[in-house]
Amino acid sequence: MEVTSSSGTSSGKATSNAGNWKEYERVLLPPVKDLHKLDVYEDKGGYAALREVLTGKWEPATVADTVKASGLRGRGGASFNTGLKWTFMPPVDDGPRYLCCNGDESEPGTFKDRQLMEYNPHLVFEGILIACYAMSITTCYLYIRGEYADWITHMERELEKAYARGYVGKNIFGTDFSTDIVIHKGAGAYICGEETSLMESLEGKRAYPRIKPPFPAQFGCWGRPTTINNVETLACVPLIISRGADWFAGLGAKTLPGPVLYGISGHVNRPGVYEYPTGMLISDLIYDVCRGMRNDKKLKAVVPGGSSTPPLRADMIDGICMDADSLREAGSMMGTAGMLVMDEDTDMVKWLRRVSHFYHHESCGQCTPCREGTGWLERLVAKIDEGEGNLRDLDLLIDLCSEMEGRTVCALADAAAWPVRYTLDRFRDEFEAKCRPSSVPVTQLVTA
Amino acid sequence: MPKVTIDNEVLEFDGQHKLLQLCLDRGQELPHFCYHPAMSVPANCRQCLVKVGMPKVDRATREPVLDEDGNPVIQYFPKLQTSCSLDVTDGMVVHTHRTDELVSRAQRDNLELLLINHPLDCPICDQAGHCPLQNQAYKYGPEGSRFEFRKVKKPKAVPLGPRVMLDGERCINCTRCVRFTDEISKSHQLTIIGRGVRNYPMTPPGMEFDDPYSMNVIDICPVGALTSIDFRFKARAWEVSKTPSITATNAKGSNCFYWVKDNRIVNVTARENADVNGFWLPDEDRLNTDRFNDNRPDGPKVRMGGQLVDASWDEAYDAAGALLRGVTGKDVLFIGSAHASVEDNYLLTRLAAHLNADAPVYVPHVVAGADDDWLVTDDKTPNAAGCERLGIHPADPAVLKSRLASGDVKVVYVMDDDPVGAGVLAANDLDDVAVILHHSHTTNTTLASADVALPSAMIVETIGTFVNTDGHAQRVRPAKAIKGVNRSLMMEMGKSRLDEHATPFDRWSVEDNKVSCQPGWEALPAIAGRVSLDLKFKGPKQVMAQVAADHSAFEGATYEAMGLSGVRLVESGAVV
Repeated sequence: MEVTSSSGTSSGKATSNAGNWKEYERVLLPPVKDLHKLDVYEDKGGYAALREVLTGKWEPATVADTVKASGLRGRGGASFNTGLKWTFMPPVDDGPRYLCCNGDESEPGTFKDRQLMEYNPHLVFEGILIACYAMSITTCYLYIRGEYADWITHMERELEKAYARGYVGKNIFGTDFSTDIVIHKGAGAYICGEETSLMESLEGKRAYPRIKPPFPAQFGCWGRPTTINNVETLACVPLIISRGADWFAGLGAKTLPGPVLYGISGHVNRPGVYEYPTGMLISDLIYDVCRGMRNDKKLKAVVPGGSSTPPLRADMIDGICMDADSLREAGSMMGTAGMLVMDEDTDMVKWLRRVSHFYHHESCGQCTPCREGTGWLERLVAKIDEGEGNLRDLDLLIDLCSEMEGRTVCALADAAAWPVRYTLDRFRDEFEAKCRPSSVPVTQLVTA
Repeated sequence: MPKVTIDNEVLEFDGQHKLLQLCLDRGQELPHFCYHPAMSVPANCRQCLVKVGMPKVDRATREPVLDEDGNPVIQYFPKLQTSCSLDVTDGMVVHTHRTDELVSRAQRDNLELLLINHPLDCPICDQAGHCPLQNQAYKYGPEGSRFEFRKVKKPKAVPLGPRVMLDGERCINCTRCVRFTDEISKSHQLTIIGRGVRNYPMTPPGMEFDDPYSMNVIDICPVGALTSIDFRFKARAWEVSKTPSITATNAKGSNCFYWVKDNRIVNVTARENADVNGFWLPDEDRLNTDRFNDNRPDGPKVRMGGQLVDASWDEAYDAAGALLRGVTGKDVLFIGSAHASVEDNYLLTRLAAHLNADAPVYVPHVVAGADDDWLVTDDKTPNAAGCERLGIHPADPAVLKSRLASGDVKVVYVMDDDPVGAGVLAANDLDDVAVILHHSHTTNTTLASADVALPSAMIVETIGTFVNTDGHAQRVRPAKAIKGVNRSLMMEMGKSRLDEHATPFDRWSVEDNKVSCQPGWEALPAIAGRVSLDLKFKGPKQVMAQVAADHSAFEGATYEAMGLSGVRLVESGAVV
């Protein structure tokens, strides 16, 4: 089916920050059959970056500087500069230090790390090993969410092979650098994807996020210096080493460069995970990459980076690219680049009800505003959805969001409040339509 | 010295401080629930939010940026900060609810959220009246609630262990109890289970919350989620008087409050004293409050015709005086008591010296192996160290028995103890001697051998000084009234709301449950007067001043110096 990029919106006029993306060659998920197999991965130049770093006698600091120069920013949602994060680690002392690779991918609408782990697991391992070398770390915990049971088995099998070939473990490539990778299964809690509660969970405690400061680089796992990076972030590292920081920095948007996995779901003809440079026009992603809206319906809303990022109305995405600056301008965020696309038939109240239910279910219950607020939000939205709401409930919803935002230990309260605030703000008429009409007409109130 | 500005008031500080503690130390209240000075800071209740800023500094010159009026420009943190977890730094500017509308609004919002799933069953809640949530909700909370849904259902009236009852719905998840078992008692018997709004504390499967310090979680619970199985539903907070005193179960002398309703001790809770017990109290100190209330003697008795018969106090003192008159030296045996105060024991030594008798001895009450290196000691008496400092040493049963068997002894004088019950003497050892006994319970086994029985006041009814195992001298205050001692004259008794606001014609002022007994510092001078020894003092305070003057081991232990937290005495060198 031939679908032109100009159908639906005026994206033809807008410029993409992704450059010549149609010619882009995939690097994170290259089209290679059986790439997950170690032999195939080696054939395609796998573990060369690690070999280069270890046998080429790179200084650990050089590795970190290269990553910093590449402008790689975290792909887990917060978009923090990865190389900079690595430099926060204190100088080496006698005790252990840890790397945590965060594969607890739980944000609704996000499913990119799963693809990486399935199709290119050794790239993840290689990235972990290089990161460990850069920070002189000898143990990495790869924390995978428990629901990914099959992927955990898959990763464990591949890790065993990497151990057998000597890529992981003692004296890698005959050097005196040794690192262990330990795969840890999560137990099914969204909050474990938050970096500090991930560490609590690793330690065998309740996954209550910690207060910061102290930051993980000072006081991490078991009180030792720790760095936490997303799976996709670490998968970019071998590419930066082998292809150079300049190559990476030149890809996609200036402030958030590199390849990124767009996980697109919802009412498009061809949902899925697509690898392109950052800075893709949202309209290109929907109308070109995903071949347009399902059943040629009209677009209603786009949630650009996982369910907690503010949704954008169809009329707000004109010329908006998937990068930090452009999305901030539009009133949303890059998040995990897990894009939810909704067509004109979508009931935004129902959508918000489902999202609120998720955050209510997943609030860990540590901080008062989130523990109590998420449940209240859900029940209010459900009440409106059932047609029993009043107009003042809408104001109460906004009030509640203000009571929750920025007042908790971690960002879950914000993640729960933002979709409510912005969905209500941008689709208020749908909410008002579901509310009971006021028993006293406004005109009467005014004249009385 | 570094400076911090709190509510436009500049103050200097020294060393490391958390902002909340700094404010509390200065008497500036900030609402909070999860913070406890003895435990780690989880900052999870989010109640103590404040607005915090630092002076803006010019990046190039490192000089503070000034506004047109020459005042430094303050850069505030974008989010409100929890004062409990915030380290105070030089130049910090803080606005609490007193000077910032946003902060007071945040505190009000937080209380609204805390209350939406709280059952608000204050009328039947034991915590009502001394509940941090109730007090702070009235003070800082919203006028009503906008929550119109069903509250969350959680387990209620669940016994966590033999002594602590949980009401899950009242819990606000401050985790103080969990942190207590993790960090203070180290029994790790509690954890939070469930997720989100269904969270509540629980023991791990198959485990009982039988920590010997378990009841401390009741004290630190900021709501009525954890209550005492022993005390719950016995009294409302406003019906009781709370008297600051010390416990008498062991030689540690932990500081406590005695709760009294209708002249009965109904509860014992911890009182802070950094030098003795910190914030904590072992369960054994809190339980068996009925020993202060039940089996108490009612007035003195004198043996006539083989029977103990009721007598007036004067008749009893006369009888005791008659027994002591004429005896001297080896004729009389004095047994003091590690249960009695320093003052009472001192008066007894004076009486013994007057009669040229040997110095009194005391009956040791030691349970080997009870010591836990914390607040429980082997020694089950509160004043053994005080006795030692007065030169009163533990009784040797063999010596006592041989002296009694020798037939020299005519009178045995026992103060506040039960040598027969404790196994130091056998009942028939006392067959041929006259026994003068100060006793506090009718269950006292020695009572059967007594010729003069003088009911004495217990630690909760008297004024006096006790020295703990570490040499810390502390005062006790009367928590419950006794017959014969004028309540207002003591001036030291804790007051309840009824004491302060009711009239004498109200029903509360009943004579019921008042025990007819006398404290040692009243009874001993009365008896001494009958053997021509003038032991009259104005009161226990003057006795203690005399003790401090006579014994260097009590130097500095005046009532003024001891106050509410006691004084550490000089090392005596005596082995207890």
